[in-house]
Amino acid sequence: MIASRDAAGELHVLLNSCRHRGMAVCASDQGNAKFFRCPYHGWTYSSTGDLVGVPRTEAAYRGELDKSRLGLVEVPRVESYKGFIFANWDAGAVSLVDYLGPDQLWYLDMPIEGALGGLEVLGPVMKYRISANWKLASENFAGDDYHVLYTHGSAFQIGFLPDYDTLADYIAYFPHGHGMGDIPKPGRGLQNDLMMAEHFGPEAVEYVQAYNARLAERLSPEQAAVHGLGEGNIFPNLSWIKFGCFHVLGLYQWHPKGPGELEVWQTTFYDTGAPQHLKDFARSQMSQENAAAGIFGQDDGENFEKITESARGAVSRTLDFNYTMGMGHEGEIDEPTLPGQLGPHYSEQNHRNFYRYWAELMTEARP
Amino acid sequence: MTSTVADTQREVEQFLYREAKMLDEFRYEEWLDLFTDDAKYWMPITESREVGQERSPVAGEWALFEEDKRFLVKRHERLSGGLAHAEQPRSRTRRMISNVIVTEFDDGAVGVESNLLVFQSRRGASEQFFVGCRQDRLIRVDDGFRITERAIHLDHRVLPRAISIYF
Repeated sequence: MIASRDAAGELHVLLNSCRHRGMAVCASDQGNAKFFRCPYHGWTYSSTGDLVGVPRTEAAYRGELDKSRLGLVEVPRVESYKGFIFANWDAGAVSLVDYLGPDQLWYLDMPIEGALGGLEVLGPVMKYRISANWKLASENFAGDDYHVLYTHGSAFQIGFLPDYDTLADYIAYFPHGHGMGDIPKPGRGLQNDLMMAEHFGPEAVEYVQAYNARLAERLSPEQAAVHGLGEGNIFPNLSWIKFGCFHVLGLYQWHPKGPGELEVWQTTFYDTGAPQHLKDFARSQMSQENAAAGIFGQDDGENFEKITESARGAVSRTLDFNYTMGMGHEGEIDEPTLPGQLGPHYSEQNHRNFYRYWAELMTEARP
Repeated sequence: MTSTVADTQREVEQFLYREAKMLDEFRYEEWLDLFTDDAKYWMPITESREVGQERSPVAGEWALFEEDKRFLVKRHERLSGGLAHAEQPRSRTRRMISNVIVTEFDDGAVGVESNLLVFQSRRGASEQFFVGCRQDRLIRVDDGFRITERAIHLDHRVLPRAISIYF
Protein backbone atom coordinates (compact mmCIF):
# COMPACT_ATOMS: atom_id res chain seq x y z
CA MET A 1 0.00 0.00 0.00
CA ILE A 2 1.01 3.62 -0.49
CA ALA A 3 -0.09 6.34 1.92
CA SER A 4 0.32 9.61 0.06
CA ARG A 5 -0.47 13.26 0.63
CA ASP A 6 -1.40 15.12 -2.53
CA ALA A 7 -0.49 18.73 -3.36
CA ALA A 8 -3.50 19.95 -1.37
CA GLY A 9 -2.41 17.92 1.66
CA GLU A 10 -5.24 15.42 1.19
CA LEU A 11 -4.46 11.84 2.24
CA HIS A 12 -4.82 8.90 -0.16
CA VAL A 13 -4.29 5.23 0.58
CA LEU A 14 -3.57 3.45 -2.70
CA LEU A 15 -2.86 -0.10 -3.76
CA ASN A 16 0.79 -0.23 -4.79
CA SER A 17 0.13 -2.05 -8.04
CA CYS A 18 0.20 -0.70 -11.59
CA ARG A 19 -3.08 -1.22 -13.47
CA HIS A 20 -1.16 -2.49 -16.53
CA ARG A 21 0.93 -5.44 -15.26
CA GLY A 22 0.47 -5.13 -11.51
CA MET A 23 3.98 -3.97 -10.72
CA ALA A 24 4.69 -1.96 -7.57
CA VAL A 25 5.04 1.71 -8.50
CA CYS A 26 6.73 2.71 -5.24
CA ALA A 27 9.60 0.85 -3.55
CA SER A 28 10.56 3.32 -0.83
CA ASP A 29 9.78 3.36 2.86
CA GLN A 30 9.13 7.09 2.73
CA GLY A 31 10.05 10.16 0.76
CA ASN A 32 8.79 12.84 -1.57
CA ALA A 33 7.65 12.32 -5.14
CA LYS A 34 5.69 14.34 -7.69
CA PHE A 35 4.29 11.13 -9.15
CA PHE A 36 4.54 7.33 -9.05
CA ARG A 37 5.98 5.84 -12.23
CA CYS A 38 5.87 2.12 -13.00
CA PRO A 39 9.41 0.89 -13.82
CA TYR A 40 8.06 -1.64 -16.37
CA HIS A 41 6.39 0.45 -19.13
CA GLY A 42 6.39 3.85 -17.51
CA TRP A 43 2.71 4.27 -16.71
CA THR A 44 2.61 7.28 -14.45
CA TYR A 45 0.24 8.09 -11.61
CA SER A 46 -0.27 11.34 -9.73
CA SER A 47 -0.01 11.56 -5.95
CA THR A 48 -3.80 11.16 -5.90
CA GLY A 49 -3.47 7.89 -7.81
CA ASP A 50 -4.85 9.14 -11.15
CA LEU A 51 -3.27 7.66 -14.27
CA VAL A 52 -1.75 10.75 -15.86
CA GLY A 53 0.79 9.37 -18.29
CA VAL A 54 1.00 6.40 -20.68
CA PRO A 55 4.06 6.39 -22.98
CA ARG A 56 3.28 6.42 -26.73
CA THR A 57 -0.38 6.46 -25.83
CA GLU A 58 -1.59 7.37 -29.36
CA ALA A 59 0.63 4.89 -31.22
CA ALA A 60 0.10 2.10 -28.74
CA TYR A 61 -3.57 2.50 -27.85
CA ARG A 62 -4.91 4.61 -30.76
CA GLY A 63 -6.72 6.85 -28.27
CA GLU A 64 -8.82 3.90 -27.09
CA LEU A 65 -7.42 3.65 -23.54
CA ASP A 66 -9.73 5.16 -20.93
CA LYS A 67 -7.17 6.49 -18.46
CA SER A 68 -9.87 7.76 -16.15
CA ARG A 69 -10.77 4.17 -15.23
CA LEU A 70 -7.20 3.06 -14.65
CA GLY A 71 -6.03 4.97 -11.59
CA LEU A 72 -4.31 3.16 -8.74
CA VAL A 73 -6.99 1.44 -6.71
CA GLU A 74 -7.87 3.62 -3.74
CA VAL A 75 -8.97 2.08 -0.47
CA PRO A 76 -12.61 3.04 -0.12
CA ARG A 77 -12.57 3.73 3.61
CA VAL A 78 -9.80 5.83 5.11
CA GLU A 79 -10.42 7.29 8.54
CA SER A 80 -8.08 8.64 11.14
CA TYR A 81 -8.34 8.80 14.89
CA LYS A 82 -6.29 11.58 16.49
CA GLY A 83 -3.70 11.30 13.72
CA PHE A 84 -3.59 7.49 13.46
CA ILE A 85 -4.71 6.51 9.97
CA PHE A 86 -6.69 3.34 9.33
CA ALA A 87 -7.69 2.05 5.89
CA ASN A 88 -10.35 -0.55 5.21
CA TRP A 89 -11.19 -2.36 1.96
CA ASP A 90 -14.75 -2.93 3.12
CA ALA A 91 -16.79 0.03 1.90
CA GLY A 92 -19.71 -1.06 4.08
CA ALA A 93 -17.72 -1.40 7.31
CA VAL A 94 -18.80 0.38 10.48
CA SER A 95 -16.98 3.64 11.21
CA LEU A 96 -13.50 3.45 12.73
CA VAL A 97 -14.67 4.99 16.01
CA ASP A 98 -17.56 2.52 16.26
CA TYR A 99 -15.22 -0.37 15.43
CA LEU A 100 -12.72 0.61 18.13
CA GLY A 101 -15.58 1.33 20.51
CA PRO A 102 -15.87 3.88 23.35
CA ASP A 103 -14.69 1.51 26.09
CA GLN A 104 -11.43 0.67 24.33
CA LEU A 105 -10.91 4.31 23.33
CA TRP A 106 -11.28 5.31 26.98
CA TYR A 107 -7.90 3.61 27.49
CA LEU A 108 -6.29 4.31 24.09
CA ASP A 109 -6.93 8.03 24.51
CA MET A 110 -4.59 8.18 27.48
CA PRO A 111 -1.16 7.87 25.82
CA ILE A 112 -2.36 10.18 23.02
CA GLU A 113 -3.87 12.91 25.20
CA GLY A 114 -1.37 12.62 28.04
CA ALA A 115 1.57 13.57 25.83
CA LEU A 116 2.38 17.17 26.78
CA GLY A 117 3.61 18.19 23.35
CA GLY A 118 1.83 15.53 21.30
CA LEU A 119 3.33 12.31 19.99
CA GLU A 120 6.13 12.10 17.45
CA VAL A 121 7.46 9.11 15.53
CA LEU A 122 11.00 8.51 16.78
CA GLY A 123 12.58 7.02 13.66
CA PRO A 124 12.26 4.41 10.96
CA VAL A 125 9.88 1.47 11.16
CA MET A 126 11.67 -1.57 12.58
CA LYS A 127 10.92 -4.67 10.49
CA TYR A 128 11.60 -8.30 11.28
CA ARG A 129 10.29 -11.75 10.58
CA ILE A 130 8.93 -14.35 12.97
CA SER A 131 8.26 -17.81 11.51
CA ALA A 132 4.98 -18.08 13.37
CA ASN A 133 1.26 -17.72 12.95
CA TRP A 134 0.24 -14.07 13.37
CA LYS A 135 -2.58 -14.92 15.80
CA LEU A 136 -0.04 -15.99 18.42
CA ALA A 137 1.34 -12.46 18.53
CA SER A 138 -2.13 -10.85 18.51
CA GLU A 139 -3.58 -13.03 21.28
CA ASN A 140 -0.43 -12.48 23.32
CA PHE A 141 -0.77 -8.69 23.30
CA ALA A 142 -4.55 -8.94 23.75
CA GLY A 143 -3.98 -9.76 27.40
CA ASP A 144 -1.75 -12.80 27.95
CA ASP A 145 -0.33 -11.39 31.17
CA TYR A 146 0.19 -14.94 32.40
CA HIS A 147 3.16 -15.52 30.03
CA VAL A 148 5.11 -12.57 31.41
CA LEU A 149 5.95 -14.49 34.59
CA TYR A 150 7.86 -17.25 32.83
CA THR A 151 8.56 -16.20 29.22
CA HIS A 152 10.02 -12.97 30.56
CA GLY A 153 11.32 -14.47 33.78
CA SER A 154 14.82 -13.36 32.81
CA ALA A 155 13.71 -9.70 32.98
CA PHE A 156 12.79 -10.13 36.65
CA GLN A 157 15.96 -12.13 37.26
CA ILE A 158 18.23 -9.28 36.11
CA GLY A 159 16.16 -6.55 37.76
CA PHE A 160 14.81 -5.06 34.51
CA LEU A 161 11.30 -5.24 36.01
CA PRO A 162 10.05 -5.14 39.60
CA ASP A 163 7.74 -7.85 40.92
CA TYR A 164 5.05 -8.27 38.24
CA ASP A 165 2.10 -8.05 40.62
CA THR A 166 3.21 -4.55 41.66
CA LEU A 167 2.78 -3.33 38.06
CA ALA A 168 -0.78 -4.19 37.14
CA ASP A 169 -4.00 -5.83 38.25
CA TYR A 170 -6.49 -6.35 35.45
CA ILE A 171 -7.09 -7.23 31.84
CA ALA A 172 -10.12 -6.12 29.79
CA TYR A 173 -11.83 -7.05 26.57
CA PHE A 174 -14.11 -5.17 24.25
CA PRO A 175 -16.52 -5.86 21.37
CA HIS A 176 -14.99 -6.77 17.96
CA GLY A 177 -12.30 -9.01 19.48
CA HIS A 178 -10.17 -6.24 21.00
CA GLY A 179 -8.36 -6.83 24.27
CA MET A 180 -5.77 -5.35 26.60
CA GLY A 181 -3.70 -6.41 29.57
CA ASP A 182 -1.65 -5.00 32.43
CA ILE A 183 -4.21 -2.41 33.57
CA PRO A 184 -3.21 -1.03 36.97
CA LYS A 185 -5.93 -0.48 39.54
CA PRO A 186 -6.72 3.22 40.09
CA GLY A 187 -3.87 4.94 41.91
CA ARG A 188 -1.18 2.33 41.21
CA GLY A 189 0.07 3.71 37.88
CA LEU A 190 0.76 7.22 39.18
CA GLN A 191 2.35 5.86 42.35
CA ASN A 192 4.70 3.62 40.31
CA ASP A 193 5.64 6.47 37.95
CA LEU A 194 6.37 8.83 40.85
CA MET A 195 8.58 6.19 42.46
CA MET A 196 10.48 5.79 39.23
CA ALA A 197 10.67 9.56 38.73
CA GLU A 198 12.66 9.93 41.93
CA HIS A 199 15.55 8.09 40.27
CA PHE A 200 15.53 10.65 37.44
CA GLY A 201 15.28 13.77 39.61
CA PRO A 202 12.86 16.67 40.15
CA GLU A 203 12.31 17.39 36.46
CA ALA A 204 10.96 13.87 36.00
CA VAL A 205 8.65 14.23 39.01
CA GLU A 206 7.28 17.44 37.49
CA TYR A 207 6.81 15.69 34.16
CA VAL A 208 4.82 12.84 35.72
CA GLN A 209 2.62 15.31 37.57
CA ALA A 210 2.04 17.41 34.46
CA TYR A 211 1.16 14.31 32.43
CA ASN A 212 -1.28 13.18 35.08
CA ALA A 213 -2.86 16.64 35.41
CA ARG A 214 -3.30 16.72 31.67
CA LEU A 215 -5.13 13.38 31.72
CA ALA A 216 -7.49 14.73 34.38
CA GLU A 217 -8.07 17.95 32.48
CA ARG A 218 -8.42 16.64 28.90
CA LEU A 219 -10.01 13.28 29.72
CA SER A 220 -11.37 12.59 33.21
CA PRO A 221 -10.25 12.15 36.84
CA GLU A 222 -11.01 8.42 36.45
CA GLN A 223 -8.54 8.14 33.54
CA ALA A 224 -5.95 10.14 35.46
CA ALA A 225 -6.37 7.64 38.29
CA VAL A 226 -5.37 4.82 35.91
CA HIS A 227 -2.52 7.01 34.54
CA GLY A 228 -0.36 4.31 32.91
CA LEU A 229 -1.44 1.33 30.88
CA GLY A 230 -0.08 -1.91 29.67
CA GLU A 231 -0.48 -3.37 26.23
CA GLY A 232 -3.29 -4.46 23.95
CA ASN A 233 -4.39 -5.71 20.58
CA ILE A 234 -6.72 -3.90 18.22
CA PHE A 235 -8.36 -6.76 16.36
CA PRO A 236 -7.08 -8.39 14.28
CA ASN A 237 -3.36 -7.61 14.10
CA LEU A 238 -2.40 -4.20 15.46
CA SER A 239 -0.86 -4.39 18.90
CA TRP A 240 0.38 -1.60 21.16
CA ILE A 241 2.28 -1.12 24.37
CA LYS A 242 2.63 1.84 26.74
CA PHE A 243 3.66 1.55 30.37
CA GLY A 244 3.43 4.94 32.05
CA CYS A 245 5.45 8.11 31.52
CA PHE A 246 8.89 6.58 31.03
CA HIS A 247 7.82 4.24 28.28
CA VAL A 248 7.39 4.92 24.58
CA LEU A 249 4.14 4.11 22.81
CA GLY A 250 4.99 1.14 20.60
CA LEU A 251 2.80 -0.05 17.73
CA TYR A 252 3.23 -3.50 16.20
CA GLN A 253 1.64 -4.51 12.92
CA TRP A 254 1.71 -8.29 12.62
CA HIS A 255 1.59 -8.76 8.84
CA PRO A 256 0.76 -12.37 7.96
CA LYS A 257 3.06 -13.78 5.25
CA GLY A 258 1.37 -17.17 5.00
CA PRO A 259 0.09 -19.53 7.70
CA GLY A 260 3.46 -19.91 9.45
CA GLU A 261 5.22 -16.61 8.83
CA LEU A 262 4.70 -13.06 9.97
CA GLU A 263 6.49 -9.77 9.42
CA VAL A 264 6.55 -7.30 12.27
CA TRP A 265 6.42 -3.58 11.51
CA GLN A 266 7.18 -1.76 14.71
CA THR A 267 6.76 2.00 15.10
CA THR A 268 7.75 3.98 18.16
CA PHE A 269 6.28 7.23 19.47
CA TYR A 270 7.11 9.52 22.34
CA ASP A 271 5.96 12.79 23.83
CA THR A 272 7.64 15.76 22.14
CA GLY A 273 7.04 17.71 25.36
CA ALA A 274 9.07 15.37 27.58
CA PRO A 275 12.54 16.36 28.84
CA GLN A 276 15.27 15.13 26.47
CA HIS A 277 16.87 12.76 28.98
CA LEU A 278 13.54 10.99 29.49
CA LYS A 279 13.10 10.66 25.72
CA ASP A 280 16.56 9.11 25.49
CA PHE A 281 15.82 6.73 28.33
CA ALA A 282 12.44 5.62 26.94
CA ARG A 283 13.78 5.08 23.41
CA SER A 284 16.82 3.11 24.48
CA GLN A 285 14.81 1.07 26.99
CA MET A 286 12.31 0.03 24.32
CA SER A 287 15.12 -1.32 22.12
CA GLN A 288 16.13 -3.45 25.12
CA GLU A 289 12.57 -4.57 25.81
CA ASN A 290 9.77 -5.36 23.34
CA ALA A 291 11.70 -5.01 20.08
CA ALA A 292 13.68 -7.16 17.63
CA ALA A 293 16.81 -7.30 19.79
CA GLY A 294 15.02 -6.66 23.07
CA ILE A 295 15.04 -9.24 25.81
CA PHE A 296 11.24 -9.58 25.64
CA GLY A 297 10.97 -9.50 21.86
CA GLN A 298 13.48 -12.24 21.21
CA ASP A 299 11.97 -14.67 23.74
CA ASP A 300 8.42 -14.04 22.48
CA GLY A 301 9.57 -14.60 18.88
CA GLU A 302 11.34 -17.80 19.79
CA ASN A 303 8.28 -19.13 21.63
CA PHE A 304 5.86 -18.23 18.82
CA GLU A 305 8.13 -20.01 16.35
CA LYS A 306 8.37 -23.14 18.48
CA ILE A 307 4.58 -23.28 18.90
CA THR A 308 4.03 -22.92 15.16
CA GLU A 309 6.62 -25.61 14.44
CA SER A 310 5.34 -28.13 16.99
CA ALA A 311 1.68 -27.61 16.18
CA ARG A 312 2.28 -28.80 12.60
CA GLY A 313 2.78 -32.40 13.73
CA ALA A 314 0.40 -35.17 12.63
CA VAL A 315 -0.80 -35.71 16.19
CA SER A 316 -0.23 -32.24 17.67
CA ARG A 317 -2.38 -30.63 14.99
CA THR A 318 -5.35 -32.72 16.12
CA LEU A 319 -5.10 -31.44 19.69
CA ASP A 320 -6.88 -28.38 21.07
CA PHE A 321 -5.00 -25.61 22.86
CA ASN A 322 -6.19 -24.91 26.38
CA TYR A 323 -7.91 -21.53 26.81
CA THR A 324 -9.90 -22.36 29.96
CA MET A 325 -8.23 -19.99 32.44
CA GLY A 326 -10.89 -17.99 34.26
CA MET A 327 -13.85 -19.71 32.56
CA GLY A 328 -16.98 -19.43 34.68
CA HIS A 329 -15.47 -16.49 36.55
CA GLU A 330 -16.00 -13.63 34.13
CA GLY A 331 -17.53 -10.44 35.44
CA GLU A 332 -16.39 -10.99 39.02
CA ILE A 333 -14.19 -7.88 39.21
CA ASP A 334 -15.81 -4.97 40.99
CA GLU A 335 -14.08 -1.84 39.71
CA PRO A 336 -16.89 0.45 38.58
CA THR A 337 -14.76 3.25 37.12
CA LEU A 338 -12.97 1.01 34.58
CA PRO A 339 -14.84 0.27 31.32
CA GLY A 340 -14.69 -2.94 29.29
CA GLN A 341 -15.18 -6.52 30.43
CA LEU A 342 -12.63 -6.60 33.26
CA GLY A 343 -10.83 -9.73 34.32
CA PRO A 344 -8.09 -10.51 36.81
CA HIS A 345 -4.40 -10.24 35.86
CA TYR A 346 -4.33 -13.94 34.97
CA SER A 347 -7.24 -15.02 32.80
CA GLU A 348 -7.81 -16.18 29.23
CA GLN A 349 -11.12 -14.34 28.86
CA ASN A 350 -9.47 -11.98 26.35
CA HIS A 351 -8.16 -14.85 24.21
CA ARG A 352 -11.66 -16.35 24.10
CA ASN A 353 -13.06 -12.95 23.08
CA PHE A 354 -10.40 -12.66 20.33
CA TYR A 355 -11.16 -16.12 18.89
CA ARG A 356 -14.96 -15.77 19.27
CA TYR A 357 -14.87 -12.74 17.00
CA TRP A 358 -12.34 -14.38 14.68
CA ALA A 359 -14.59 -17.47 14.37
CA GLU A 360 -17.61 -15.21 13.76
CA LEU A 361 -15.84 -13.51 10.84
CA MET A 362 -14.43 -16.73 9.41
CA THR A 363 -17.82 -18.48 9.37
CA GLU A 364 -20.16 -15.62 8.46
CA ALA A 365 -21.99 -15.89 5.17
CA ARG A 366 -20.32 -13.95 2.36
CA PRO A 367 -22.47 -11.96 -0.04
CA MET B 1 52.72 1.55 3.48
CA THR B 2 55.13 2.09 6.37
CA SER B 3 55.83 -0.82 8.67
CA THR B 4 54.00 0.92 11.54
CA VAL B 5 50.77 1.17 9.53
CA ALA B 6 51.11 -2.45 8.42
CA ASP B 7 51.61 -3.51 12.05
CA THR B 8 48.50 -1.68 13.18
CA GLN B 9 46.50 -3.22 10.35
CA ARG B 10 47.62 -6.69 11.36
CA GLU B 11 47.05 -6.06 15.08
CA VAL B 12 43.53 -4.76 14.45
CA GLU B 13 42.66 -7.71 12.21
CA GLN B 14 43.91 -10.17 14.84
CA PHE B 15 41.90 -8.32 17.48
CA LEU B 16 38.71 -8.58 15.40
CA TYR B 17 39.26 -12.26 14.59
CA ARG B 18 39.88 -13.12 18.22
CA GLU B 19 36.83 -11.14 19.26
CA ALA B 20 34.68 -13.01 16.73
CA LYS B 21 36.02 -16.30 18.04
CA MET B 22 35.08 -15.35 21.61
CA LEU B 23 31.49 -14.77 20.52
CA ASP B 24 31.36 -17.96 18.45
CA GLU B 25 32.61 -19.84 21.52
CA PHE B 26 30.21 -18.07 23.94
CA ARG B 27 33.08 -16.57 25.95
CA TYR B 28 30.96 -13.52 26.80
CA GLU B 29 32.82 -12.42 29.91
CA GLU B 30 36.05 -12.12 27.96
CA TRP B 31 34.12 -10.37 25.19
CA LEU B 32 32.64 -7.80 27.60
CA ASP B 33 36.15 -7.06 28.88
CA LEU B 34 37.01 -5.81 25.39
CA PHE B 35 34.69 -2.82 25.89
CA THR B 36 35.61 0.24 27.95
CA ASP B 37 33.23 1.06 30.78
CA ASP B 38 31.87 4.04 28.82
CA ALA B 39 31.53 2.11 25.54
CA LYS B 40 28.60 2.76 23.23
CA TYR B 41 26.97 -0.05 21.24
CA TRP B 42 24.60 1.04 18.49
CA MET B 43 22.72 -0.65 15.65
CA PRO B 44 20.46 1.72 13.70
CA ILE B 45 17.59 0.71 11.43
CA THR B 46 18.22 0.56 7.67
CA GLU B 47 15.62 2.11 5.37
CA SER B 48 14.92 1.97 1.63
CA ARG B 49 14.63 5.37 0.00
CA GLU B 50 14.69 6.82 -3.49
CA VAL B 51 18.05 7.67 -5.00
CA GLY B 52 18.81 11.24 -3.96
CA GLN B 53 16.65 10.99 -0.82
CA GLU B 54 18.86 8.58 1.12
CA ARG B 55 19.91 9.56 4.59
CA SER B 56 22.35 8.19 7.10
CA PRO B 57 20.92 7.01 10.40
CA VAL B 58 21.26 9.57 13.18
CA ALA B 59 22.09 8.96 16.83
CA GLY B 60 19.01 9.65 18.91
CA GLU B 61 16.50 7.96 16.66
CA TRP B 62 14.81 4.65 17.32
CA ALA B 63 17.37 1.86 16.82
CA LEU B 64 17.85 -1.90 17.15
CA PHE B 65 20.56 -1.53 19.78
CA GLU B 66 21.30 1.70 21.63
CA GLU B 67 23.07 0.91 24.83
CA ASP B 68 26.05 1.14 27.09
CA LYS B 69 28.26 -1.49 28.63
CA ARG B 70 26.04 -1.65 31.70
CA PHE B 71 23.23 -3.16 29.67
CA LEU B 72 25.54 -5.43 27.67
CA VAL B 73 26.55 -6.86 31.05
CA LYS B 74 22.87 -7.26 31.96
CA ARG B 75 22.29 -9.14 28.70
CA HIS B 76 25.08 -11.49 29.63
CA GLU B 77 23.63 -11.98 33.11
CA ARG B 78 20.34 -12.87 31.44
CA LEU B 79 21.96 -15.36 29.07
CA SER B 80 23.54 -17.17 32.01
CA GLY B 81 20.36 -17.27 34.12
CA GLY B 82 18.66 -20.23 32.43
CA LEU B 83 15.56 -18.27 31.36
CA ALA B 84 16.78 -16.73 28.10
CA HIS B 85 14.55 -18.91 25.92
CA ALA B 86 15.77 -17.37 22.65
CA GLU B 87 19.24 -18.80 23.38
CA GLN B 88 18.26 -22.03 25.09
CA PRO B 89 19.93 -24.11 23.73
CA ARG B 90 22.50 -21.66 22.35
CA SER B 91 22.54 -20.79 18.67
CA ARG B 92 25.54 -22.04 16.78
CA THR B 93 27.17 -19.02 15.14
CA ARG B 94 30.08 -18.39 12.82
CA ARG B 95 31.33 -14.88 12.23
CA MET B 96 33.33 -13.92 9.17
CA ILE B 97 35.12 -10.56 9.33
CA SER B 98 36.71 -8.97 6.25
CA ASN B 99 37.49 -5.72 4.36
CA VAL B 100 39.19 -4.21 7.38
CA ILE B 101 40.08 -0.55 6.91
CA VAL B 102 42.11 1.11 9.64
CA THR B 103 42.45 4.83 10.31
CA GLU B 104 44.80 6.10 13.01
CA PHE B 105 43.83 9.33 14.73
CA ASP B 106 46.12 11.91 16.33
CA ASP B 107 44.70 11.22 19.79
CA GLY B 108 45.93 7.61 19.53
CA ALA B 109 42.50 6.15 18.85
CA VAL B 110 42.05 3.81 15.91
CA GLY B 111 39.02 3.88 13.64
CA VAL B 112 38.14 0.54 12.09
CA GLU B 113 35.64 -0.37 9.43
CA SER B 114 35.00 -4.03 8.74
CA ASN B 115 32.49 -6.18 6.92
CA LEU B 116 30.58 -8.81 8.78
CA LEU B 117 28.84 -12.04 7.78
CA VAL B 118 27.24 -14.02 10.59
CA PHE B 119 25.67 -17.44 10.21
CA GLN B 120 23.21 -18.47 12.90
CA SER B 121 21.77 -21.97 13.27
CA ARG B 122 18.99 -22.49 15.79
CA ARG B 123 16.98 -25.53 16.81
CA GLY B 124 16.46 -27.80 13.80
CA ALA B 125 16.46 -26.23 10.38
CA SER B 126 16.20 -22.58 11.42
CA GLU B 127 19.19 -20.90 9.76
CA GLN B 128 19.90 -17.24 9.08
CA PHE B 129 22.60 -14.99 7.75
CA PHE B 130 23.13 -11.45 9.00
CA VAL B 131 25.22 -9.21 6.76
CA GLY B 132 26.53 -5.72 7.40
CA CYS B 133 29.46 -3.54 8.32
CA ARG B 134 30.78 -2.25 11.60
CA GLN B 135 32.46 1.01 12.52
CA ASP B 136 34.56 0.70 15.66
CA ARG B 137 36.57 3.19 17.62
CA LEU B 138 39.40 1.46 19.49
CA ILE B 139 41.91 2.71 22.00
CA ARG B 140 45.26 1.11 22.72
CA VAL B 141 45.89 -0.54 26.07
CA ASP B 142 48.83 -2.60 27.35
CA ASP B 143 47.53 -5.90 26.06
CA GLY B 144 45.99 -4.69 22.80
CA PHE B 145 42.83 -2.68 22.19
CA ARG B 146 39.56 -1.78 23.86
CA ILE B 147 36.35 -0.84 22.01
CA THR B 148 34.94 2.57 22.97
CA GLU B 149 32.31 2.79 20.24
CA ARG B 150 30.73 0.26 17.95
CA ALA B 151 28.15 1.01 15.26
CA ILE B 152 26.69 -1.96 13.39
CA HIS B 153 24.92 -1.26 10.10
CA LEU B 154 23.07 -4.33 8.87
CA ASP B 155 22.09 -4.33 5.21
CA HIS B 156 18.73 -5.99 5.83
CA ARG B 157 15.58 -3.92 5.55
CA VAL B 158 13.58 -6.78 7.07
CA LEU B 159 15.60 -8.76 9.60
CA PRO B 160 15.29 -12.53 9.04
CA ARG B 161 14.37 -13.01 12.70
CA ALA B 162 14.60 -11.35 16.08
CA ILE B 163 18.18 -10.82 17.24
CA SER B 164 19.43 -12.99 20.09
CA ILE B 165 23.17 -12.76 19.30
CA TYR B 166 25.81 -10.02 19.35
CA PHE B 167 27.61 -8.34 16.48
